[in-house]
Amino acid sequence: MSRLSLWTPASAGVDGIFDMALVNKFPTRRDEAWKWTDVSRVVADDMRGLSAAAPVQIFVPEGVTVTRTDVITAANDATLYTLASEHAGQVWAIDVPAGFTSENPIQIEGLTYGHAQISLNVGKGARIQLVEHYDGQAGAFVNSHLNVKLAEDAVLDRVIVQTDTDTTVRAATTHVTAWASSELLQHTLAFGGKLSRLETRMAGMGQGVKATINAAYLLDGTRHCDMTSYVDLACPDGHIRQSVKGVATDKARGVFQGKFHVRRPAQHTDARMRHDCMMLSDTSEIRSKPELEIYADDVVCEHGNTIGALDESALFYMRQRGIPLAQSRAMLTEAFLASVFDTLEDEVMRESLLSKLRGWLAR
Amino acid sequence: MLKIKNLHVAVDDGQKPILTGLSLEVPKGEVHAIMGPNGAGKSTLSYALTGREGYDVTDGTVTLDGEDLLEMDPEERAAAGVFLSFQYPLEIPGVPTMTFLKTALNAQRRARGEEEMKAPEFLKKARALAAELKMKPEMLKRPLNVGFSGGEKKRMEIFQMMMLEPSFIVMDETDSGLDVDALRIVADGVNKLRSPDRGMLIITHYQRLLDYIVPDRVHVLANGGIAASGDAEFAKTLEKEGYDAYAA
Repeated sequence: MSRLSLWTPASAGVDGIFDMALVNKFPTRRDEAWKWTDVSRVVADDMRGLSAAAPVQIFVPEGVTVTRTDVITAANDATLYTLASEHAGQVWAIDVPAGFTSENPIQIEGLTYGHAQISLNVGKGARIQLVEHYDGQAGAFVNSHLNVKLAEDAVLDRVIVQTDTDTTVRAATTHVTAWASSELLQHTLAFGGKLSRLETRMAGMGQGVKATINAAYLLDGTRHCDMTSYVDLACPDGHIRQSVKGVATDKARGVFQGKFHVRRPAQHTDARMRHDCMMLSDTSEIRSKPELEIYADDVVCEHGNTIGALDESALFYMRQRGIPLAQSRAMLTEAFLASVFDTLEDEVMRESLLSKLRGWLAR
Repeated sequence: MLKIKNLHVAVDDGQKPILTGLSLEVPKGEVHAIMGPNGAGKSTLSYALTGREGYDVTDGTVTLDGEDLLEMDPEERAAAGVFLSFQYPLEIPGVPTMTFLKTALNAQRRARGEEEMKAPEFLKKARALAAELKMKPEMLKRPLNVGFSGGEKKRMEIFQMMMLEPSFIVMDETDSGLDVDALRIVADGVNKLRSPDRGMLIITHYQRLLDYIVPDRVHVLANGGIAASGDAEFAKTLEKEGYDAYAA
């Protein structure tokens, strides 16, 4: 039985000075990649976390190490990244040694306000589960950057559950560098927030990279959630599957931006992207931008996008059998969304996610 | 048991009248058949009886054992004992057949103030009935009707009927798409449910089904109402002579 170690920051929650002039540099709707997620409009100077380090807590199984380093990886000059560098304190560096396996996952907690920079190295042939809770505080600003390196044959099984309040603003950015035959399995269950941007960027740097990037988003009230992903393949035999499903009701706003970039050497890529959503009210909005940019000529790449509503005939069929309207709606909606978690092998985890999903449907 | 008086039903937001004064009584314990030309309103009648949206009742009454059916939501009518065997049963992806049925059965029992059926008892009953209807047990685990052939879907309708034990059954063109073997299995299932406490309304285009499920009365639905009625032999006459005599 592995022992879990707990690493906490020495200086979490100490607010620094936040330069409000930076608000002008936050992504706005004039930035193409952020056109439906205007961060500058929701950032206010009284938000908790604008200049603080997040009170990150990382739980790891025995054999996995966590240290704090100054190494900044995946540097770029975007405001969110710059802010994280300035206010997150040191980088949390998680190292999973080559060949490592464990029944216990790495858990990242404490992304409740403030900035965080985390790096995760998964060694050659290692296999690890990573569970993250995005449970932001009311009125908080959370900005996290996770940098993942998957060595050859490494497997990362990542689960993200977002339960932010409806006044939380969150940007969660993940960069994954995937070497030959490595695999990213990622499942996200998101309930949105005042504004949330969940972005996953993956670079396939070796042959035979595999990824399953699935998500379900359920949005009510005036919540917003932006699922953005970018998979960039530079080597042959990549196998990518993405299925994102969402429901939006009331005045909620959902966004899906998915891009697969298949470079010329990435022959025999097999990549499929799907986004399917349902609008449960006349005032909800869902914006979708699936993109395929393909330069190799011997590949199978496809994308599908559907926006619909519950099937009225199916609803009537269920009611005619005695199932009340609200329950019929919930069952059909659950059946629609749940399929994205079929690829989550951890049954206990899957049932936990489905149970949260059911809770939302029964609210 | 079922009393329909002067029923007027319109579709297209009440703009297009289909039934214009249909009256019919089905006493408890009897099986009545409704035949008629295409477009006469046979399916409209079945949807109006079960409360489907888009079928507006503009006049008339329908009661089941004295209770006003038209006042009730579809799920309330189901709990009151009404079952519709669909002409085109719906596929419900992602919802396993067993889950669907158990939810339906217990929702009805709750609505009637009865005790819910526990899982082991439900499983036992389901398996026994599936065997009777010559259905493979794996079908019960699959999402409802997904990938089922037409005949399998119709058999699944009968299976649901036998699990839910309704008191009034409406069968909407059950025999369409069935070969003789499937027809016999379906008919056997229906005939097993015949009882002095149950009423049935069989809507059919062809007389063939009525060789297996012999009705007590046969009615012709034409020109917005019941144009003629007779006994089981009447169905054979209709098959031979067609519906020209009832054209408007």
